[in-house]
Amino acid sequence: MDAVIEVEGLRKEYRRVRGAKTVAVDGLDLAVPSGGVFGFLGPNGAGKTTTIRCLLGLVRPSGGRCRLLGHEPPQLHRVIERVGSIVESPTMFPRFTGRRNLELLARISGIGPSRVREVLEEVGLAGRADDLVKTYSLGMKQRLGIAGALLKDPEVLILDEPANGLDPAGIVEVRELMRHLGRQGRTVFVSSHILTEVQQTADRVAILARGRTVAAGPVHEVLTAGRATGLLVRLDDLDAGMRALADAGIEASSEDGRIRVGLPPEEAARVTRALAERGLYLSELRPDEADLETVFLELTGGGETEPR
Amino acid sequence: MIALLASELRRFRSRRLVRLLTLLELVGILVAGVIVYVTQEYELSSFPNVLKGTSFILLSVGWLLGASAIGADWHTGHVTTILTWEPRRGRLIWAKIAAALVQVFVISIVLQAVLGLVLGIDAAAKGSTAGVDATWLSESAAVALRVGLLSSLFAAIGFGLASAGRNTAVALGVGFGYLVVVENLVRGLRPEWIRWLLTENTALVVTNDPNLGIPLEGRSPEEAGFYIVAICLVLLLGAAALFRMRDVT
Repeated sequence: MDAVIEVEGLRKEYRRVRGAKTVAVDGLDLAVPSGGVFGFLGPNGAGKTTTIRCLLGLVRPSGGRCRLLGHEPPQLHRVIERVGSIVESPTMFPRFTGRRNLELLARISGIGPSRVREVLEEVGLAGRADDLVKTYSLGMKQRLGIAGALLKDPEVLILDEPANGLDPAGIVEVRELMRHLGRQGRTVFVSSHILTEVQQTADRVAILARGRTVAAGPVHEVLTAGRATGLLVRLDDLDAGMRALADAGIEASSEDGRIRVGLPPEEAARVTRALAERGLYLSELRPDEADLETVFLELTGGGETEPR
Repeated sequence: MIALLASELRRFRSRRLVRLLTLLELVGILVAGVIVYVTQEYELSSFPNVLKGTSFILLSVGWLLGASAIGADWHTGHVTTILTWEPRRGRLIWAKIAAALVQVFVISIVLQAVLGLVLGIDAAAKGSTAGVDATWLSESAAVALRVGLLSSLFAAIGFGLASAGRNTAVALGVGFGYLVVVENLVRGLRPEWIRWLLTENTALVVTNDPNLGIPLEGRSPEEAGFYIVAICLVLLLGAAALFRMRDVT
Protein backbone atom coordinates (compact mmCIF):
# COMPACT_ATOMS: atom_id res chain seq x y z
CA MET A 1 0.00 0.00 0.00
CA ASP A 2 1.37 3.38 -1.04
CA ALA A 3 0.80 5.65 1.95
CA VAL A 4 0.73 9.35 1.25
CA ILE A 5 0.30 10.16 4.94
CA GLU A 6 2.18 8.10 7.52
CA VAL A 7 2.01 8.72 11.23
CA GLU A 8 3.88 6.55 13.72
CA GLY A 9 3.56 6.92 17.47
CA LEU A 10 2.82 10.61 17.14
CA ARG A 11 2.66 12.44 20.45
CA LYS A 12 2.01 16.09 21.13
CA GLU A 13 1.98 17.70 24.53
CA TYR A 14 1.23 21.33 25.15
CA ARG A 15 2.72 22.97 28.18
CA ARG A 16 0.18 25.07 29.97
CA VAL A 17 0.47 27.73 32.64
CA ARG A 18 2.46 26.60 35.71
CA GLY A 19 4.06 23.75 33.80
CA ALA A 20 0.95 21.56 33.53
CA LYS A 21 0.92 19.45 30.37
CA THR A 22 -1.98 18.74 28.06
CA VAL A 23 -1.63 15.64 25.93
CA ALA A 24 -3.38 16.36 22.63
CA VAL A 25 -2.09 13.36 20.66
CA ASP A 26 -0.92 10.24 22.45
CA GLY A 27 0.94 7.69 20.31
CA LEU A 28 -1.16 7.99 17.17
CA ASP A 29 -0.57 5.60 14.27
CA LEU A 30 -2.09 6.20 10.87
CA ALA A 31 -1.50 5.28 7.25
CA VAL A 32 -3.50 6.95 4.50
CA PRO A 33 -3.28 5.24 1.11
CA SER A 34 -3.11 7.10 -2.16
CA GLY A 35 -6.38 8.10 -3.85
CA GLY A 36 -9.94 8.42 -2.60
CA VAL A 37 -11.47 10.05 0.43
CA PHE A 38 -10.11 9.21 3.87
CA GLY A 39 -12.23 10.21 6.86
CA PHE A 40 -10.42 11.16 10.04
CA LEU A 41 -13.08 10.93 12.71
CA GLY A 42 -13.09 11.86 16.32
CA PRO A 43 -14.98 13.87 18.90
CA ASN A 44 -13.96 17.42 19.72
CA GLY A 45 -10.62 17.49 21.50
CA ALA A 46 -9.60 14.04 20.22
CA GLY A 47 -6.48 15.43 18.52
CA LYS A 48 -7.57 15.67 14.87
CA THR A 49 -6.49 19.25 14.27
CA THR A 50 -3.27 18.80 16.22
CA THR A 51 -2.40 15.79 14.04
CA ILE A 52 -3.06 17.85 10.91
CA ARG A 53 -0.96 20.71 12.27
CA CYS A 54 1.88 18.27 12.95
CA LEU A 55 1.64 16.90 9.40
CA LEU A 56 1.80 20.40 7.95
CA GLY A 57 4.71 21.45 10.15
CA LEU A 58 2.67 24.02 12.05
CA VAL A 59 3.34 22.41 15.41
CA ARG A 60 6.36 20.39 16.45
CA PRO A 61 5.58 16.84 17.65
CA SER A 62 6.74 15.93 21.16
CA GLY A 63 7.44 12.41 19.93
CA GLY A 64 6.90 9.97 17.09
CA ARG A 65 7.04 10.68 13.37
CA CYS A 66 4.78 11.90 10.67
CA ARG A 67 5.40 12.00 6.94
CA LEU A 68 3.49 13.62 4.14
CA LEU A 69 4.28 12.25 0.68
CA GLY A 70 7.34 10.62 2.24
CA HIS A 71 8.70 13.80 3.80
CA GLU A 72 8.84 14.80 7.43
CA PRO A 73 7.83 18.37 8.33
CA PRO A 74 11.33 19.92 8.08
CA GLN A 75 11.48 18.80 4.42
CA LEU A 76 7.87 19.67 3.72
CA HIS A 77 8.84 22.45 1.32
CA ARG A 78 9.95 19.76 -1.15
CA VAL A 79 6.37 18.53 -1.55
CA ILE A 80 4.22 21.46 -0.45
CA GLU A 81 3.38 22.22 -4.09
CA ARG A 82 1.59 18.83 -4.19
CA VAL A 83 -0.43 19.45 -1.02
CA GLY A 84 -3.48 21.66 -0.59
CA SER A 85 -4.94 22.21 2.85
CA ILE A 86 -7.41 23.99 5.04
CA VAL A 87 -6.71 24.03 8.75
CA GLU A 88 -9.79 24.93 10.78
CA SER A 89 -11.58 27.89 9.18
CA PRO A 90 -9.97 29.20 6.00
CA THR A 91 -8.84 32.77 6.54
CA MET A 92 -9.43 35.20 3.73
CA PHE A 93 -9.39 38.98 3.58
CA PRO A 94 -13.05 39.99 3.95
CA ARG A 95 -12.64 43.27 2.09
CA PHE A 96 -11.10 41.67 -0.98
CA THR A 97 -13.02 39.82 -3.64
CA GLY A 98 -12.86 36.04 -3.72
CA ARG A 99 -10.77 36.22 -6.88
CA ARG A 100 -8.30 38.69 -5.39
CA ASN A 101 -7.86 36.53 -2.29
CA LEU A 102 -7.00 33.56 -4.47
CA GLU A 103 -4.68 35.63 -6.64
CA LEU A 104 -2.73 36.70 -3.54
CA LEU A 105 -2.24 33.05 -2.60
CA ALA A 106 -1.52 31.99 -6.16
CA ARG A 107 1.25 34.55 -6.45
CA ILE A 108 3.28 32.75 -3.74
CA SER A 109 3.68 29.75 -6.03
CA GLY A 110 3.69 31.67 -9.29
CA ILE A 111 0.27 30.33 -10.27
CA GLY A 112 -1.46 32.33 -12.99
CA PRO A 113 -4.97 33.81 -13.19
CA SER A 114 -6.23 31.04 -15.49
CA ARG A 115 -5.86 28.49 -12.67
CA VAL A 116 -7.67 30.88 -10.34
CA ARG A 117 -10.56 30.93 -12.82
CA GLU A 118 -10.52 27.13 -13.06
CA VAL A 119 -10.77 26.53 -9.32
CA LEU A 120 -13.48 29.15 -8.94
CA GLU A 121 -15.44 27.23 -11.58
CA GLU A 122 -14.68 23.93 -9.88
CA VAL A 123 -16.11 25.01 -6.53
CA GLY A 124 -19.05 26.81 -8.14
CA LEU A 125 -18.01 30.34 -7.19
CA ALA A 126 -17.29 31.76 -10.64
CA GLY A 127 -20.47 33.84 -10.55
CA ARG A 128 -19.55 35.50 -7.26
CA ALA A 129 -15.78 35.67 -7.74
CA ASP A 130 -15.74 39.44 -7.99
CA ASP A 131 -17.88 40.07 -4.91
CA LEU A 132 -16.28 40.97 -1.61
CA VAL A 133 -15.69 37.99 0.65
CA LYS A 134 -17.53 39.74 3.49
CA THR A 135 -20.74 39.34 1.46
CA TYR A 136 -20.25 35.55 1.15
CA SER A 137 -22.27 33.03 3.13
CA LEU A 138 -20.39 30.62 5.39
CA GLY A 139 -20.73 27.90 2.77
CA MET A 140 -19.28 30.16 0.09
CA LYS A 141 -16.35 31.08 2.32
CA GLN A 142 -15.73 27.40 2.93
CA ARG A 143 -15.83 26.73 -0.81
CA LEU A 144 -13.45 29.63 -1.38
CA GLY A 145 -11.12 28.02 1.15
CA ILE A 146 -11.33 24.74 -0.75
CA ALA A 147 -10.66 26.64 -3.98
CA GLY A 148 -7.53 28.04 -2.34
CA ALA A 149 -6.46 24.53 -1.39
CA LEU A 150 -7.07 23.39 -4.98
CA LEU A 151 -5.01 26.16 -6.58
CA LYS A 152 -1.87 24.05 -6.64
CA ASP A 153 -3.78 21.21 -8.34
CA PRO A 154 -2.67 19.05 -5.40
CA GLU A 155 -2.32 15.29 -5.20
CA VAL A 156 -3.22 15.43 -1.53
CA LEU A 157 -5.92 17.59 0.00
CA ILE A 158 -6.07 17.95 3.75
CA LEU A 159 -9.36 19.40 4.90
CA ASP A 160 -9.96 20.05 8.57
CA GLU A 161 -13.68 20.02 9.38
CA PRO A 162 -14.71 21.42 5.98
CA ALA A 163 -18.41 21.23 6.80
CA ASN A 164 -18.12 23.12 10.07
CA GLY A 165 -20.88 25.67 10.47
CA LEU A 166 -22.51 24.87 7.13
CA ASP A 167 -26.24 24.52 6.64
CA PRO A 168 -27.55 21.21 5.21
CA ALA A 169 -27.32 22.47 1.64
CA GLY A 170 -23.75 23.60 2.22
CA ILE A 171 -22.85 20.23 3.75
CA VAL A 172 -24.23 18.44 0.69
CA GLU A 173 -22.25 20.77 -1.61
CA VAL A 174 -19.00 20.14 0.24
CA ARG A 175 -19.69 16.39 0.35
CA GLU A 176 -20.28 16.28 -3.40
CA LEU A 177 -17.13 18.28 -3.97
CA MET A 178 -15.05 15.90 -1.85
CA ARG A 179 -16.44 12.88 -3.68
CA HIS A 180 -15.68 14.55 -6.99
CA LEU A 181 -12.11 15.29 -5.91
CA GLY A 182 -11.62 11.76 -4.65
CA ARG A 183 -12.86 10.37 -7.97
CA GLN A 184 -10.25 12.48 -9.75
CA GLY A 185 -7.60 10.30 -8.12
CA ARG A 186 -6.58 12.80 -5.47
CA THR A 187 -6.17 11.75 -1.87
CA VAL A 188 -8.67 13.72 0.19
CA PHE A 189 -7.92 13.52 3.90
CA VAL A 190 -10.88 15.00 5.71
CA SER A 191 -11.25 15.36 9.44
CA SER A 192 -14.70 15.60 10.86
CA HIS A 193 -16.90 14.87 13.82
CA ILE A 194 -19.97 14.76 11.57
CA LEU A 195 -20.42 11.05 11.08
CA THR A 196 -22.96 11.04 8.30
CA GLU A 197 -20.71 13.31 6.27
CA VAL A 198 -17.84 10.85 6.51
CA GLN A 199 -19.97 7.73 6.10
CA GLN A 200 -21.42 9.06 2.87
CA THR A 201 -18.15 10.38 1.51
CA ALA A 202 -15.17 8.38 2.67
CA ASP A 203 -13.76 5.16 1.31
CA ARG A 204 -11.68 4.57 4.42
CA VAL A 205 -11.81 5.95 7.94
CA ALA A 206 -9.72 6.20 11.06
CA ILE A 207 -11.47 6.85 14.35
CA LEU A 208 -9.57 8.81 16.92
CA ALA A 209 -10.25 8.98 20.66
CA ARG A 210 -8.11 10.58 23.36
CA GLY A 211 -5.28 11.13 20.91
CA ARG A 212 -5.08 7.54 19.65
CA THR A 213 -6.45 5.60 16.69
CA VAL A 214 -9.12 3.21 17.94
CA ALA A 215 -10.23 1.85 14.57
CA ALA A 216 -9.08 2.21 10.98
CA GLY A 217 -9.81 0.70 7.60
CA PRO A 218 -12.38 0.67 4.84
CA VAL A 219 -15.69 2.09 6.07
CA HIS A 220 -17.63 -1.18 5.78
CA GLU A 221 -14.92 -3.07 7.69
CA VAL A 222 -14.92 -0.57 10.50
CA LEU A 223 -18.71 -0.76 10.61
CA THR A 224 -18.77 -4.54 10.88
CA ALA A 225 -15.63 -5.10 12.93
CA GLY A 226 -16.23 -7.25 15.99
CA ARG A 227 -19.94 -7.68 15.44
CA ALA A 228 -22.07 -10.50 14.04
CA THR A 229 -23.06 -9.95 10.45
CA GLY A 230 -26.62 -10.56 9.40
CA LEU A 231 -29.51 -9.62 7.19
CA LEU A 232 -32.75 -7.83 7.94
CA VAL A 233 -35.85 -9.05 6.14
CA ARG A 234 -39.26 -7.43 6.00
CA LEU A 235 -42.34 -9.19 4.61
CA ASP A 236 -46.09 -9.24 5.24
CA ASP A 237 -46.39 -12.59 7.06
CA LEU A 238 -43.59 -12.75 9.59
CA ASP A 239 -44.67 -16.07 11.11
CA ALA A 240 -44.77 -17.82 7.75
CA GLY A 241 -41.41 -16.35 6.93
CA MET A 242 -39.92 -17.61 10.19
CA ARG A 243 -41.24 -21.11 9.50
CA ALA A 244 -39.89 -21.11 5.94
CA LEU A 245 -36.44 -20.07 7.09
CA ALA A 246 -36.40 -22.61 9.93
CA ASP A 247 -37.37 -25.36 7.49
CA ALA A 248 -34.47 -24.29 5.24
CA GLY A 249 -32.09 -24.58 8.19
CA ILE A 250 -31.47 -20.83 8.42
CA GLU A 251 -31.15 -19.30 11.87
CA ALA A 252 -33.54 -16.35 12.25
CA SER A 253 -35.28 -14.30 14.88
CA SER A 254 -38.16 -11.89 14.76
CA GLU A 255 -37.74 -8.37 16.09
CA ASP A 256 -39.46 -5.02 15.58
CA GLY A 257 -41.69 -6.26 12.74
CA ARG A 258 -38.69 -7.68 10.86
CA ILE A 259 -36.76 -10.93 10.71
CA ARG A 260 -33.11 -10.90 11.57
CA VAL A 261 -31.26 -13.64 9.71
CA GLY A 262 -27.91 -14.94 10.93
CA LEU A 263 -26.29 -15.14 7.50
CA PRO A 264 -23.69 -12.85 6.02
CA PRO A 265 -24.91 -10.48 3.24
CA GLU A 266 -23.12 -12.62 0.62
CA GLU A 267 -25.63 -15.43 1.32
CA ALA A 268 -28.74 -13.32 0.82
CA ALA A 269 -29.79 -15.51 -2.12
CA ARG A 270 -30.42 -18.45 0.27
CA VAL A 271 -32.96 -16.34 2.13
CA THR A 272 -34.81 -15.11 -0.95
CA ARG A 273 -34.92 -18.67 -2.37
CA ALA A 274 -36.26 -20.20 0.85
CA LEU A 275 -39.00 -17.58 1.08
CA ALA A 276 -39.90 -17.59 -2.61
CA GLU A 277 -40.31 -21.39 -2.60
CA ARG A 278 -43.15 -20.84 -0.09
CA GLY A 279 -44.67 -18.05 -2.15
CA LEU A 280 -43.45 -15.38 0.26
CA TYR A 281 -42.09 -12.18 -1.23
CA LEU A 282 -39.90 -9.63 0.46
CA SER A 283 -40.61 -5.96 0.85
CA GLU A 284 -37.09 -5.28 2.21
CA LEU A 285 -33.78 -7.11 2.44
CA ARG A 286 -30.65 -5.36 3.67
CA PRO A 287 -27.43 -6.03 5.58
CA ASP A 288 -27.76 -5.63 9.32
CA GLU A 289 -24.83 -3.24 9.90
CA ALA A 290 -24.31 -0.73 12.62
CA ASP A 291 -24.09 2.80 11.35
CA LEU A 292 -20.93 4.77 11.86
CA GLU A 293 -22.52 6.74 14.65
CA THR A 294 -23.05 3.61 16.75
CA VAL A 295 -19.52 2.37 16.09
CA PHE A 296 -18.10 5.80 16.79
CA LEU A 297 -19.90 6.14 20.10
CA GLU A 298 -18.88 2.64 21.15
CA LEU A 299 -15.24 3.20 20.26
CA THR A 300 -14.88 6.69 21.61
CA GLY A 301 -16.88 6.09 24.74
CA GLY A 302 -19.63 8.55 23.93
CA GLY A 303 -19.28 12.23 24.63
CA GLU A 304 -16.54 14.71 23.98
CA THR A 305 -12.95 13.88 24.70
CA GLU A 306 -11.35 16.70 26.51
CA PRO A 307 -7.58 17.01 26.35
CA ARG A 308 -5.77 15.72 29.39
CA MET B 1 11.72 33.78 -2.84
CA ILE B 2 10.97 36.50 -5.39
CA ALA B 3 7.38 35.26 -5.78
CA LEU B 4 6.96 35.16 -2.00
CA LEU B 5 8.36 38.67 -1.65
CA ALA B 6 6.12 39.94 -4.46
CA SER B 7 3.12 38.36 -2.76
CA GLU B 8 4.01 39.92 0.59
CA LEU B 9 4.57 43.33 -1.01
CA ARG B 10 1.15 43.15 -2.58
CA ARG B 11 -0.44 41.86 0.62
CA PHE B 12 1.07 44.75 2.61
CA ARG B 13 -0.06 47.28 0.03
CA SER B 14 -3.56 45.86 0.08
CA ARG B 15 -4.03 46.25 3.82
CA ARG B 16 -6.83 48.59 4.77
CA LEU B 17 -4.79 50.13 7.59
CA VAL B 18 -1.95 51.00 5.20
CA ARG B 19 -4.33 52.68 2.79
CA LEU B 20 -6.26 54.43 5.54
CA LEU B 21 -3.20 55.84 7.30
CA THR B 22 -1.61 56.94 4.03
CA LEU B 23 -4.82 58.64 3.01
CA LEU B 24 -5.16 60.33 6.41
CA GLU B 25 -1.62 61.62 6.16
CA LEU B 26 -2.25 62.93 2.65
CA VAL B 27 -5.41 64.70 3.82
CA GLY B 28 -3.48 66.09 6.80
CA ILE B 29 -0.78 67.44 4.48
CA LEU B 30 -3.38 69.10 2.25
CA VAL B 31 -5.19 70.64 5.23
CA ALA B 32 -1.86 71.87 6.63
CA GLY B 33 -1.06 73.36 3.22
CA VAL B 34 -4.36 75.26 3.19
CA ILE B 35 -3.85 76.50 6.78
CA VAL B 36 -0.30 77.64 6.01
CA TYR B 37 -1.53 79.42 2.88
CA VAL B 38 -4.29 81.22 4.74
CA THR B 39 -2.37 82.15 7.89
CA GLN B 40 1.15 83.03 6.78
CA GLU B 41 3.58 83.82 4.01
CA TYR B 42 5.56 80.63 3.98
CA GLU B 43 9.31 80.66 3.35
CA LEU B 44 10.31 77.44 1.61
CA SER B 45 13.87 77.71 2.92
CA SER B 46 12.60 76.39 6.28
CA PHE B 47 11.32 73.16 4.71
CA PRO B 48 14.09 70.90 6.11
CA ASN B 49 13.10 72.03 9.62
CA VAL B 50 9.46 71.24 8.85
CA LEU B 51 10.50 67.73 7.87
CA LYS B 52 12.44 67.34 11.11
CA GLY B 53 9.53 68.67 13.16
CA THR B 54 6.94 66.37 11.58
CA SER B 55 9.15 63.27 11.53
CA PHE B 56 7.62 61.86 14.71
CA ILE B 57 4.32 61.37 12.85
CA LEU B 58 5.96 59.27 10.14
CA LEU B 59 7.96 57.31 12.71
CA SER B 60 4.81 56.54 14.72
CA VAL B 61 2.98 55.46 11.58
CA GLY B 62 5.96 53.31 10.63
CA TRP B 63 5.83 51.60 14.02
CA LEU B 64 2.09 50.96 13.63
CA LEU B 65 2.34 49.67 10.05
CA GLY B 66 5.27 47.41 10.90
CA ALA B 67 3.38 46.00 13.88
CA SER B 68 0.19 45.41 11.92
CA ALA B 69 2.07 43.75 9.04
CA ILE B 70 2.51 40.65 11.21
CA GLY B 71 0.14 41.32 14.11
CA ALA B 72 -2.94 41.28 11.89
CA ASP B 73 -1.83 38.02 10.27
CA TRP B 74 -1.49 36.42 13.69
CA HIS B 75 -4.81 37.83 14.82
CA THR B 76 -6.76 36.56 11.79
CA GLY B 77 -4.99 33.21 11.58
CA HIS B 78 -3.55 34.09 8.20
CA VAL B 79 -0.12 32.93 9.31
CA THR B 80 -1.45 29.37 9.30
CA THR B 81 -2.74 29.72 5.75
CA ILE B 82 0.51 31.20 4.46
CA LEU B 83 2.59 28.50 6.14
CA THR B 84 0.66 25.86 4.23
CA TRP B 85 2.00 27.54 1.09
CA GLU B 86 5.50 28.35 2.27
CA PRO B 87 6.49 26.12 5.19
CA ARG B 88 10.02 27.54 5.41
CA ARG B 89 9.36 29.94 8.23
CA GLY B 90 12.66 31.79 7.92
CA ARG B 91 11.92 32.71 4.34
CA LEU B 92 8.39 33.72 5.17
CA ILE B 93 9.21 36.04 8.06
CA TRP B 94 12.13 37.73 6.29
CA ALA B 95 9.92 38.26 3.22
CA LYS B 96 7.31 39.86 5.46
CA ILE B 97 9.93 42.02 7.14
CA ALA B 98 11.39 43.13 3.81
CA ALA B 99 7.94 43.91 2.40
CA ALA B 100 6.99 45.99 5.44
CA LEU B 101 10.26 47.89 5.71
CA VAL B 102 10.56 48.70 2.00
CA GLN B 103 7.00 49.93 1.74
CA VAL B 104 7.11 51.99 4.93
CA PHE B 105 10.24 53.64 3.51
CA VAL B 106 8.50 54.37 0.20
CA ILE B 107 5.38 55.71 1.93
CA SER B 108 7.50 57.95 4.14
CA ILE B 109 9.50 59.36 1.22
CA VAL B 110 6.39 59.92 -0.92
CA LEU B 111 4.54 61.70 1.90
CA GLN B 112 7.51 63.98 2.55
CA ALA B 113 7.69 64.74 -1.16
CA VAL B 114 3.98 65.58 -1.20
CA LEU B 115 4.49 67.83 1.83
CA GLY B 116 7.32 69.57 -0.02
CA LEU B 117 5.16 70.02 -3.08
CA VAL B 118 2.24 71.47 -1.10
CA LEU B 119 4.48 73.87 0.85
CA GLY B 120 6.31 74.73 -2.38
CA ILE B 121 3.01 75.76 -3.94
CA ASP B 122 2.20 77.82 -0.82
CA ALA B 123 5.59 79.53 -0.99
CA ALA B 124 5.37 80.19 -4.71
CA ALA B 125 1.82 81.55 -4.47
CA LYS B 126 2.07 83.71 -1.39
CA GLY B 127 5.36 83.32 0.48
CA SER B 128 8.97 83.21 -0.56
CA THR B 129 11.24 80.75 -2.33
CA ALA B 130 14.38 82.67 -1.45
CA GLY B 131 17.24 80.41 -0.36
CA VAL B 132 15.96 77.47 -2.40
CA ASP B 133 19.12 76.30 -4.06
CA ALA B 134 21.21 73.18 -4.50
CA THR B 135 22.31 73.24 -0.84
CA TRP B 136 18.70 73.49 0.29
CA LEU B 137 17.75 70.64 -2.02
CA SER B 138 20.48 68.33 -0.77
CA GLU B 139 19.70 69.18 2.87
CA SER B 140 15.98 68.53 2.31
CA ALA B 141 16.73 65.24 0.53
CA ALA B 142 19.08 64.16 3.32
CA VAL B 143 16.49 64.86 6.02
CA ALA B 144 13.79 63.06 4.01
CA LEU B 145 16.10 60.09 3.50
CA ARG B 146 17.00 59.93 7.21
CA VAL B 147 13.33 60.15 8.21
CA GLY B 148 12.44 57.52 5.61
CA LEU B 149 15.10 55.14 6.92
CA LEU B 150 14.09 55.80 10.52
CA SER B 151 10.45 55.10 9.61
CA SER B 152 11.56 51.72 8.31
CA LEU B 153 13.58 51.07 11.45
CA PHE B 154 10.60 51.97 13.63
CA ALA B 155 8.51 49.62 11.47
CA ALA B 156 11.10 46.94 12.24
CA ILE B 157 10.72 47.58 15.97
CA GLY B 158 6.93 47.38 15.70
CA PHE B 159 7.19 44.23 13.59
CA GLY B 160 9.57 42.54 16.02
CA LEU B 161 7.40 43.26 19.05
CA ALA B 162 4.13 42.30 17.32
CA SER B 163 5.64 39.09 16.00
CA ALA B 164 6.92 38.08 19.43
CA GLY B 165 3.59 38.97 21.03
CA ARG B 166 1.54 37.66 18.10
CA ASN B 167 -0.59 40.78 18.19
CA THR B 168 -0.43 44.37 16.95
CA ALA B 169 -1.68 45.64 20.30
CA VAL B 170 1.37 44.14 22.04
CA ALA B 171 3.69 46.27 19.92
CA LEU B 172 1.61 49.39 20.52
CA GLY B 173 1.31 48.72 24.25
CA VAL B 174 5.01 48.02 24.68
CA GLY B 175 5.86 51.08 22.60
CA PHE B 176 3.59 53.32 24.63
CA GLY B 177 4.83 51.90 27.92
CA TYR B 178 8.45 52.28 26.88
CA LEU B 179 8.18 55.82 25.53
CA VAL B 180 5.90 57.20 28.22
CA VAL B 181 6.97 55.29 31.32
CA VAL B 182 10.45 53.82 30.89
CA GLU B 183 12.07 56.74 29.11
CA ASN B 184 10.64 59.30 31.53
CA LEU B 185 11.72 57.23 34.52
CA VAL B 186 15.23 56.95 33.08
CA ARG B 187 15.40 60.69 32.41
CA GLY B 188 14.29 61.42 35.96
CA LEU B 189 16.12 58.74 37.90
CA ARG B 190 19.11 57.66 35.82
CA PRO B 191 20.16 60.56 33.58
CA GLU B 192 23.47 58.78 32.83
CA TRP B 193 21.48 56.16 30.91
CA ILE B 194 19.90 58.70 28.57
CA ARG B 195 22.44 57.85 25.90
CA TRP B 196 20.66 54.49 25.49
CA LEU B 197 17.17 55.92 25.02
CA LEU B 198 15.49 55.54 21.66
CA THR B 199 13.99 59.04 21.57
CA GLU B 200 17.25 60.93 22.11
CA ASN B 201 19.14 58.77 19.62
CA THR B 202 16.36 59.19 17.07
CA ALA B 203 16.34 62.97 17.54
CA LEU B 204 20.07 63.04 16.98
CA VAL B 205 19.74 61.11 13.71
CA VAL B 206 16.87 63.29 12.48
CA THR B 207 18.58 66.59 13.28
CA ASN B 208 22.03 65.32 12.34
CA ASP B 209 23.39 68.00 14.68
CA PRO B 210 25.07 67.04 17.98
CA ASN B 211 25.07 70.67 19.09
CA LEU B 212 21.30 71.12 19.35
CA GLY B 213 21.10 70.37 23.06
CA ILE B 214 20.25 66.68 22.77
CA PRO B 215 21.87 65.19 25.91
CA LEU B 216 24.04 62.57 24.17
CA GLU B 217 27.50 63.92 24.82
CA GLY B 218 30.20 62.42 22.67
CA ARG B 219 27.80 60.49 20.43
CA SER B 220 27.71 61.28 16.73
CA PRO B 221 24.55 61.02 14.59
CA GLU B 222 26.12 58.05 12.81
CA GLU B 223 26.70 56.25 16.11
CA ALA B 224 23.12 56.97 17.14
CA GLY B 225 21.96 55.54 13.80
CA PHE B 226 24.00 52.37 14.26
CA TYR B 227 22.64 52.03 17.78
CA ILE B 228 19.04 52.14 16.47
CA VAL B 229 19.91 49.66 13.71
CA ALA B 230 21.39 47.35 16.36
CA ILE B 231 18.17 47.53 18.42
CA CYS B 232 16.15 46.67 15.30
CA LEU B 233 18.42 43.77 14.38
CA VAL B 234 18.22 42.29 17.86
CA LEU B 235 14.43 42.56 17.85
CA LEU B 236 14.05 41.14 14.33
CA LEU B 237 16.48 38.26 14.92
CA GLY B 238 14.67 37.46 18.16
CA ALA B 239 11.30 37.61 16.43
CA ALA B 240 12.53 35.42 13.56
CA ALA B 241 13.96 32.86 15.99
CA LEU B 242 10.70 32.74 17.93
CA PHE B 243 8.73 32.46 14.69
CA ARG B 244 10.81 29.44 13.66
CA MET B 245 10.59 27.73 17.04
CA ARG B 246 7.08 28.22 18.25
CA ASP B 247 4.00 26.17 17.44
CA VAL B 248 1.40 27.82 15.23
CA THR B 249 -1.85 26.99 16.96
